[in-house]
Amino acid sequence: MAEPLRTVLVGAVRHATGYAELLAAHPGYVLAGVAESDDADAHARSDARAVAAAQGVPLWRPEDVSPDRADVAVICSEPTRHAVLAERMLGLGLHVLVDKPLATDVAAACRVVEAARAAGRHCAVVTRALAPPIRRLRDWVDSGRLGLPRSVDAEFLSSGTHFAASVERPELLTDPRLSGGGEVMNVLGYPVDDIRAATGCEPVEVFAEAGTLFWDEHRSHGVEDVAVVSALFTHGLTASIVVGRVPAAPGPGPGTYTLRLIGSHGHVEVDVAEPAVRLYSGDGAERLPIDRSPVAAVLDDLHAAIRTGRRPAYDCADAAVAVATIDAVYRSLASGAPEPVDAGSATEPEADVSPRSSEERAP
Amino acid sequence: MTGIAVLGSGGIARAHVAALGRVPGVRVTHVLGSDPGRAAAVAALASGATATADLDAVLADPDTHGVYVCGRTADHPARTLAAIAAGKHVIVEKPPARDLADFDAMAAAARSAGVRLMVGQTVRFQPAVATLEAACRSGRVGDPRLLHLNWYVGHVWPGAWRSWQLDPRQSGGHLVHNGMHPLDLAIWLLGGRPERVFTRGWCTHAPEMPTPDSFHLTVRFAGGALAMIEVSYGLRDPGDVLRRMVLCGTDGTLAHHTADDTAPSDGGPPAPLASTGDAVQRQAEHAAAVVAGRAEPLVELRHSRWALAAAIAAQRSLETGRPVDVAAGGGDLDG
Repeated sequence: MAEPLRTVLVGAVRHATGYAELLAAHPGYVLAGVAESDDADAHARSDARAVAAAQGVPLWRPEDVSPDRADVAVICSEPTRHAVLAERMLGLGLHVLVDKPLATDVAAACRVVEAARAAGRHCAVVTRALAPPIRRLRDWVDSGRLGLPRSVDAEFLSSGTHFAASVERPELLTDPRLSGGGEVMNVLGYPVDDIRAATGCEPVEVFAEAGTLFWDEHRSHGVEDVAVVSALFTHGLTASIVVGRVPAAPGPGPGTYTLRLIGSHGHVEVDVAEPAVRLYSGDGAERLPIDRSPVAAVLDDLHAAIRTGRRPAYDCADAAVAVATIDAVYRSLASGAPEPVDAGSATEPEADVSPRSSEERAP
Repeated sequence: MTGIAVLGSGGIARAHVAALGRVPGVRVTHVLGSDPGRAAAVAALASGATATADLDAVLADPDTHGVYVCGRTADHPARTLAAIAAGKHVIVEKPPARDLADFDAMAAAARSAGVRLMVGQTVRFQPAVATLEAACRSGRVGDPRLLHLNWYVGHVWPGAWRSWQLDPRQSGGHLVHNGMHPLDLAIWLLGGRPERVFTRGWCTHAPEMPTPDSFHLTVRFAGGALAMIEVSYGLRDPGDVLRRMVLCGTDGTLAHHTADDTAPSDGGPPAPLASTGDAVQRQAEHAAAVVAGRAEPLVELRHSRWALAAAIAAQRSLETGRPVDVAAGGGDLDG
C-alpha cells in the first residue's frame, strides 16, 4: 500500500483546523507541516502557529516547502491570497488543494490554471459538487429520469446565529482586502459548481440584485450579505439562486442548502444535509448526516487523481468558471444589467499529469 | 341577505359561485355568461342564482349589493366601472386590468362612488400563507427583508392552445396573469413597493408557446428588501404542487413547504393540500363581509396597484431581457 501523501497547510485561517482534522482522519494523507509567510498579517501568523502546535507539526515558511517535505499543499489562507499561494506551490512541484474561492478575480484564477498546466500538477479546489447528494442528483439527471433539465433553483443561506462560532474572524468574510467581496464571493461558487455538475451546462449570463440587509459587519465594509441571482446556462437552462447570511437559516445547524431541478420529464428537490439522522435535545434539533462530508469527497478525489494521473473530477479549471460567474455577478451589480460570464480559456483541462508514487519522491 | 352577482361563467367563476353559495347570509343573485348553458350550469351551484347574459339587468337589480368580476382580463375594467357606476361593491379577479391607467380609473371611480373595490388575491386566504403573514406581522421575525418563493404546479390552461390565457394580448402575458399571485404575496409579506424587476422565462414543454409556462424574477423593493420568485406550470403530473416560502427577517425566518402536508399515497390524483385548501371559501366569506360593510378589504388597493405595476414591468423585462423599473404613480395609492 502506498504511503500517505505528505500534506502541508499553507495558511491556516478559518477552516484550517477542520481541514487538519479531515486530513488526519483520511488514510491517504498525513499532515507534514503548516506554512505561513513572515510577511503575512499578525492574525494569519498567529493562526498558523496555533494550528501547527495543536497538530504537533512543524511551522515552515513557504520558501521552506519543497517536494522533499510535502506532496500536497492545502491552501487555507484568506481568499485574496489563495491564487498566489496556489501558484507558488504548483511552481514548487506540489499538487494543490485550494479552499474556495480559487481566486477573487478572473485573471488570478486563469493564472492558477496556467500554473497547474505548466507544472503538470493537479490543482483541486474545495467544492460540494463531488458530495454524495450532488452525485445522486447528477445520477438522476444522467439516467434520464427527469428528462432534459430546464431550470434549477438553489438557496444557500448561512445562519448569523452561528457567525461568531463558524467564523472566528468575521472580517475574513467581510473585509474585501481579505475576502475579495461579500457573501457572493464567499458562497456563490457552490451552487454554480453544483448546477454545472448536475446538468453539464455552463453559465452564460447573469443578472443580480444584492443588499446588505442584516449585518453591520458587512455594512461597515460595504459588502453584500444577501444576493439573488438570475442565471442563464447553455441549452437554455435557467437558474435562480439565493445566497446570503441571514439571522436564521430555515433549518437546523449553521446553514441550509437546497436545490430544486425541473426537467422535461420530472422534478426533484435536494437538501444537501439529507438524508440525516435527527438528534433532539435540550439545545434543539441537530442533523447527523449519513454521507461523507463534501471536503472528504474532494480529498478522496484528489488522492485518486494523484495516484492514477487522471484529472480530478473537479479542479481549478472548473473553479475558474465559478470565479468567472462571481465576477459577472459583481459586474451586474455595478451595471444594473445582465452581464456575460467570461471564463476565458481557463476551462481547458490541465495537461496530463503522471501518477506520482512514493518512489518518485526526491531523496 | 347580502346579494352578490358573479360576472363570468368560466372555471374561476364556477369556484366563486359555489363558495359564495355556501356562505351564510349570502345569496348569489346572478351568473352572467354569454353561453346560456354554461351560465345555467354554474348558476345551479348556488341556490336562487339566475343565469343571464344581460349585464344591465344584473346591475339594475337592487338586491345585488356586490359584484364579483371574473372572466377575461380585458373585460375587467369596463365591467368593474359599470358595477361601480351602479353603486355596487366590487371584487375583481386578478389581474384587475392589463394596464395601470385602467386600474387607476377603477380605483378612482370606486373612491368617488363610495363603494369598496378589492382585487381577489385568493392566495392571501390560503391557511399557510395567512399563518405566515400573521406571524410576520406580529413581529416574530423582526423586519422582513428577504423572500424566496418557489411555486411549481402541473397545470395546462383549459382550452389548451385555444386558451385566451396563452395570448399575451388578451391576458397581458404570464407575468401579468399569474405573476400577480406571487408579486402580491411578496408585497404583502415584505410590506413595500417593488422598484425594479428582472424576469427570465422558459417553456418547459412546448418551445413555441406564446406565453412561457415558467419564469423567475428578481424583485428589488423600496427600502432594499429583495425577493427571488420562481414559478413553473411545467410539472409533469396534473395537479401536482410544490410551493416553498422562505421569509427572512432581522430576527428570524419563517418558512413553509407543501411537502409538509400529509397526503395519501394510493396511486390516485394528488389530494387537496390543507396548507392551501379552502382559500376560495375563505375569500368568499371575506368578500361577503366586505360587501356587507362588516370588514375592510384585506387586499389594499395600493398593494394591488404595486403588484400590477410590478407585473407589467416583469412582463416587459421578459420581453426585453433587461431589468425594468416599476412605474410609480397612482396618486395616494403609491404612498
